[in-house]
Amino acid sequence: MKPNPFAWERPASLAALLDRLATAQGGVKLIAGGQSLGPMLALRLVEPDLILDITGIAELRQARVEAGTLVLGACVTHADIEDGRVPDLTGGALQRVASAIAYRPVRNRGTIGGSLVHADPAADWVSALMALGAEVEIAGPTGRRTLPVERFVTGALEVALGPAEILVAVRVPALPPGAAWGYVKHCAKIGEFAHAIGAVRLEPGAGRGRAVIGAVEGAPVLLADARPLFGGRIGPDFAARFEPGAAEAALIAAGMADPVERHVHVTVLARAVAQAGKLPLSHVPEAA
Amino acid sequence: MSAGLAEPATGRIALGLTVNGRSLRIEAEPRSHLGDVLRENLNLTGTHLGCEHGVCGACTVLLDGEPARACLTFAGACAGATVTTIEGLDDDPIATALRAAFNREHALQCGYCTPGMLVAARDLVLRLPEADERRIRVGLSGNLCRCTGYAGIVRAVMAVIAERRAQDIRPETGGARALGPVGARIGETVGARPQAARVTENRVAPARAQTPATTFAPAHRFTQVIDLSHPPDAVFALLGDIEAVAACLPGAVLTGRPEPDTVEGGLQVRIGPIAATFRGSARIARDPAARAGSVRGAGSDAGGRSATEGELRYRVEPGPAPGTARVALDVGYTLIGPLAQFGRPGLVRDLAGRIAGDFARAVDARLSGTEAPAPAGLNPLRLLLGLARARLAAWLGRA
Repeated sequence: MKPNPFAWERPASLAALLDRLATAQGGVKLIAGGQSLGPMLALRLVEPDLILDITGIAELRQARVEAGTLVLGACVTHADIEDGRVPDLTGGALQRVASAIAYRPVRNRGTIGGSLVHADPAADWVSALMALGAEVEIAGPTGRRTLPVERFVTGALEVALGPAEILVAVRVPALPPGAAWGYVKHCAKIGEFAHAIGAVRLEPGAGRGRAVIGAVEGAPVLLADARPLFGGRIGPDFAARFEPGAAEAALIAAGMADPVERHVHVTVLARAVAQAGKLPLSHVPEAA
Repeated sequence: MSAGLAEPATGRIALGLTVNGRSLRIEAEPRSHLGDVLRENLNLTGTHLGCEHGVCGACTVLLDGEPARACLTFAGACAGATVTTIEGLDDDPIATALRAAFNREHALQCGYCTPGMLVAARDLVLRLPEADERRIRVGLSGNLCRCTGYAGIVRAVMAVIAERRAQDIRPETGGARALGPVGARIGETVGARPQAARVTENRVAPARAQTPATTFAPAHRFTQVIDLSHPPDAVFALLGDIEAVAACLPGAVLTGRPEPDTVEGGLQVRIGPIAATFRGSARIARDPAARAGSVRGAGSDAGGRSATEGELRYRVEPGPAPGTARVALDVGYTLIGPLAQFGRPGLVRDLAGRIAGDFARAVDARLSGTEAPAPAGLNPLRLLLGLARARLAAWLGRA
């Protein structure tokens, strides 16, 4: 379980990193906390010639609030969010997601940016940040651009990042007052990658909301307009109006052929809705 | 011979570490992880290595006072860090109380997990507000113990937390530390003598032709449908032309055709950062009357560490519109080795969908007499997961 040899460099600034990315020969990988890339290197599934360690770059290790949006540098760790070392504009939603990722020793080094770029379909941030309507900020040789998470994650382990680009920050909009949030994942063993994820961000006052069914085969299934899940209308009674059949239909449309898989995913989404509606779990309808 | 901090031997990096209170200068290969540095360079063998990919927790140490996986912390990532191993916890009051409690509660048998378990347990003692059995079990879930069934370990941790809270020692909140991975310093902290750029050599192993077994029970199956804008007969004919099929599959190379129904070749597959080149052979059967066929293939990757076997059956049917075709694929495969350890069947199906899309575009273009648009021009090679290679080896072989 030893990786193939590679060279290691640790640029001290974003400019130096982008410069190096543009000129480096051979296979190059960026590493932050290394909690996803490490195992892949150990298994020799990934064999880069050069690894650029981005954790020495101060800009990536900051968090701030910008006009109602939380901006988290790519190297902010899950434990930083779990422990409340970054501001919170989501009523604790990010904190609850972070505290259930893998194990504490992993959370102490694993980063939000690294997890998103790795884009394992079963990773928590991929689904949770998509449901929260977050964006990623990308820096490259020609400047900066932002993309919504649903356009950034294009498939299993695939993201819309050019070879000389780096994800520098994640921008999470505030959860408005009165908004409801539910996030549930199903794991057979604590800390393992999820088998199913359900996430909802609903605004009963405004009658709108988003829902995500994650830990699927590729990019998560996003319902940017979640009204069909609730009989066409999102109101204060949304939890009671949840229609498992509508979620089932969305999964069929997304190509999930196995009825058992659909059942698990719909049930987990139903639990997320119940959590958002503060219903006891005994009221959760089982999927058909 | 010894070099200064700024000048390590070629191919090695130099870093400063404080280990169990001692300031040290270490030289290591960049690929060395902290667990190797501790054990091999410093003879601190109390840090155990189990899985070496972050699952078992045996190598858990304190990095800047916080638990971290030594096996997932490369040497260059923790230059300047403060490391505390199990040997450095001899005089630590919490570790002392935990050792007594582990002893009392029979919380170890073979002892292999114990150093990591104690480091993780110490963190729980510091952070958990009370001796909550469920939270302790959750907190220890990243440290595998195969002897005790955890009962004694959980009792020991509960006892130490209860003692401390009874003495009115409050839990820590972890509020005050800099953002970012523990152990990682800001700035360029690694001294390295650059290696001669090791440009990726073509890691293709000599073709180690694997012959498909006669009986095969796949571990995984999936089906896939490809829609093409050409008539079924034309599509079926193209599928009979092995060179054409290979040309439509990005990353595929044909190397030989020892017998009319057997082909040998290779396929480079890529998903995200994973790249693998597989070599193997496949046997082909065709049934023109039913416009159906099958391919049975086997192959292994360059290092011969991952191996696969697969069977693909296809049938070309008329498509929904006149003059179009629909190809129904039924794929079964088995994969062993590191790729199987990493891969999940779902990822294979996701890739299958993407590969099928690229393949269909290339076949349509070829049948229209136009050059295929460079498939996935954005990401020339990022296409397939190694797992999919069962099927790919199979497609390759289809003639």
